[in-house]
Amino acid sequence: MSNGLYVQLLYLAVGGLLLSSVLVLWRRELSAIVRLLIVQGTLMAVVALLLAIERDSIELVVVAAEVVALKALLIPGILRRVLRDSAEARETEPLINVTASILTAAVLTLVAYGISRPLVRLAPSIETQAVPVGFAMVLIGFFVLVTRRRALSQIVGFLLLDNGIATTAFLLTGGVPGVVELAVSLDVLLIVLVLQVLAARVRLTFGGTDIDELRDLHD
Amino acid sequence: MNLVAQALLGGTVFALAGAVGAALTGPRVRAVVAGVSTSVCGAGGLLAGIALVDGQTYSATVPGLLPLGTAAVAGDALSGVFVALVGAVAVIAGIYSIGYTSPGSPLDHGPGSGAGSRTVQAVLPLFVTTMVWVPIAGNVTTFLVLWELMALTSLVLVLAEHRARPQVRTAAAWYASMTHAGFVAILLALVLFSSQVGGDSFAALRVGAAELPTTLRSLIFLLALVGFGSKAGIVPLHVWLPRAHPEAPSHVSALMSAAMVTLGLYGILRVGFDLLGGGQRWWWVLVLAAGAVSALYGVLQASVAVDLKRLLGYSTTENMGLIFMGVGAAGIFAADGDRPLATLLLAASVLHAINHTGFKTLLFLGAGSVLRSTGLRNLDSLGGLVSRMPITTALFGVGALAAAALPPGNGFVSEWLLLQGLIHSLPAAGSPSVLIAVAMPLAVGVVALTAGLGVATFVKAFGVGFLARPRSMAAGNAIESPVSMRAAMALAATGCAALAIVPAIVGPTLNRVAATFPTVCDGAPLQGGVTLQLTRIAGSMSPLLILCGLFAAALVIVVTLRIAGRGLPRRKALVWGCGGTRLDPRMEYTATSFAEPLTRVFDDVLAPEQDIDVTHHAESRYLIESVQYRQKVADRVEVALYPPLLGAATGWGRLAGRMQNGSVHRYLAFGLVGLIIVLVVVGVTS
Repeated sequence: MSNGLYVQLLYLAVGGLLLSSVLVLWRRELSAIVRLLIVQGTLMAVVALLLAIERDSIELVVVAAEVVALKALLIPGILRRVLRDSAEARETEPLINVTASILTAAVLTLVAYGISRPLVRLAPSIETQAVPVGFAMVLIGFFVLVTRRRALSQIVGFLLLDNGIATTAFLLTGGVPGVVELAVSLDVLLIVLVLQVLAARVRLTFGGTDIDELRDLHD
Repeated sequence: MNLVAQALLGGTVFALAGAVGAALTGPRVRAVVAGVSTSVCGAGGLLAGIALVDGQTYSATVPGLLPLGTAAVAGDALSGVFVALVGAVAVIAGIYSIGYTSPGSPLDHGPGSGAGSRTVQAVLPLFVTTMVWVPIAGNVTTFLVLWELMALTSLVLVLAEHRARPQVRTAAAWYASMTHAGFVAILLALVLFSSQVGGDSFAALRVGAAELPTTLRSLIFLLALVGFGSKAGIVPLHVWLPRAHPEAPSHVSALMSAAMVTLGLYGILRVGFDLLGGGQRWWWVLVLAAGAVSALYGVLQASVAVDLKRLLGYSTTENMGLIFMGVGAAGIFAADGDRPLATLLLAASVLHAINHTGFKTLLFLGAGSVLRSTGLRNLDSLGGLVSRMPITTALFGVGALAAAALPPGNGFVSEWLLLQGLIHSLPAAGSPSVLIAVAMPLAVGVVALTAGLGVATFVKAFGVGFLARPRSMAAGNAIESPVSMRAAMALAATGCAALAIVPAIVGPTLNRVAATFPTVCDGAPLQGGVTLQLTRIAGSMSPLLILCGLFAAALVIVVTLRIAGRGLPRRKALVWGCGGTRLDPRMEYTATSFAEPLTRVFDDVLAPEQDIDVTHHAESRYLIESVQYRQKVADRVEVALYPPLLGAATGWGRLAGRMQNGSVHRYLAFGLVGLIIVLVVVGVTS
């Protein structure tokens, strides 16, 4: 693969990651958000695959396969089940409305570009130029956690955050060692499973999963 | 591995084994295991301390033992004195605790609580271990870790009886906040110091201190003074002493008051004289003033205190004040260049610290013996113990004599030295500086007044607490304490007596301590065997001869009276009966009534709250049915200074509480905003 094509494809995939993160804020349909997560997982696998081809690394191919299996198939599958069990199909009323959310996402992306400059300056290369996108994904994921009410949206926010961290790791170091990646992925899987059970319990107890109604935790 | 290392490590291994053993065994065995391991650990410390003072040195580094740095130890003669003091108290307290915490005493509040509980017994040897190691610490990290461990373990021990009495929890909360406020100050001081010098070890600090700017050095010293002053119980940071000492089990009170508090002095000496090498004159003026205020305020509160252990707690503040006065005066003269005089004053301070450790151990153990036997700490309910607990009474008397600083007690020797140093501070020729001309006579006055009030305090503690008739059923049913407690008190009394009669045995020790401060001290301050001779000024004293003189005088008086009274008719009657035949304990002096003149004289300082309730007879206003009198002497410093501080802290807490409405989203938002702020700060600054 020629260098120019590699750069184009890598930036396209990374741009897709950022776009999918912002779209999570735009869509209210929970099933659409899960579909966006599938797209995002696939794009992350593409990034890993591109890095694997560029560096002739078999290990990265394995990591890419693992990312597809976990983030594009397994976790969205679990989320679909959560969605099927609950009657809540929409994020009815986010704490900050969609327009303001997207504007905030733009600001957060700008902040991400600003704060990752020292990091990029350390080792300027094709991959590290794209690191701000990883930061932006982390911040947007956090923002989803802060503003969305449904338990499922909370899980999605957490997954966005994790995807951002993984993307940053890919771009900065060319992928963490397979064992570490596997361990982190299993952790994420476990957390999603726990959150799934938790969401079901919350629904059973309170009749809905609006996190904002759980406010007994204060003195 | 030399003797110091062997003794210290051996003692530590014993203490750890004792802690594990105490955690695993039943109550009766537990008391023995904890007590013996504490004593053995103390004996190791005593041995190591003596070897260090004797000229051996010990330094070692263990990388990787502490998470954020290297563990380093370095002992010199100064460390040696304090290690030996801690060790000696631990030996005695360990023996004492075997009897004190054994099951079946009136203080035994059932399984799982009190001084005999599993936790308390297991923590006791650990507390002693950390105290033994604190003066040996060779770098900032090790010192801070050990200091904090010492605070935490002592806090667990203070909390021992929290199930039986709720006020224990309040006392522990005060102690925890004061000791942690002090720790923060010490942490700031030492971390600032080491970051500016660029080294962590005390050796590096010592070398680098000279190049620091004066303002920075002053800041470090002031922070250290606040931190170590709060541990030493210097006014206005003394508030935890009269609370925590009464509520802790008595052997723990003895360890805290006699050993741990003294480590505050160690900190000041180490940082001020050793690491910073003396420094500015105004630092030491501050120390002198703080010491003078503490000495006066402590002894005044002690003289009106009714709770025996609270009285002893205030007496600790008083003695630490005297010690700090000596240290402050030594610093002033060192800054002025009169190093021989500084040496004498420093030696007097360290000697008073040694003496205070001796008699305060004895007194707290005596108070504990009374408490275990009667369940009482209130002097107004005690009395009559001389015939019921004769050995405890006699031994407490020895301690009271020493604490009152009367000959032939050991407290007298060091206070005499301190007074000699202060009195002879005016130069023989030429006029002194204004500061010295004003401060030193005032200091002499403070020491004299403190000594006088100290006599009244301990006459009250001994006379009202132990003599006359019992003022309550509990005091009347007192029985003598177990043999291990009596043995421990006898050991402490022997130490006090040795220090009182031949104080010259510690002369070489004091000379070696002085030699560890080459920039402050010069020469050997004390010489002589039976007679104590001062080198800088013309002064000498022989405690042994004073004792012989007192004994001879007493003998002469008794023999003369016998001879003069021969042939006169004898009549048996009630002592102090005043002609009456029916004596009631309610006719006796109480602690409150004994201190009443003092309360009156120092009315403006103490501001006692008095409350008189007169109930008239139903038939006639002119007849009185009953009169009730209540008096409470609050700690004025505490009442004036601490409520605003506590109010501010509470207000701050309320403000923080308002930020929390329980919404998960809000907490997440705090996290996001915090993350962005941190990232922006990092991004902008790098």
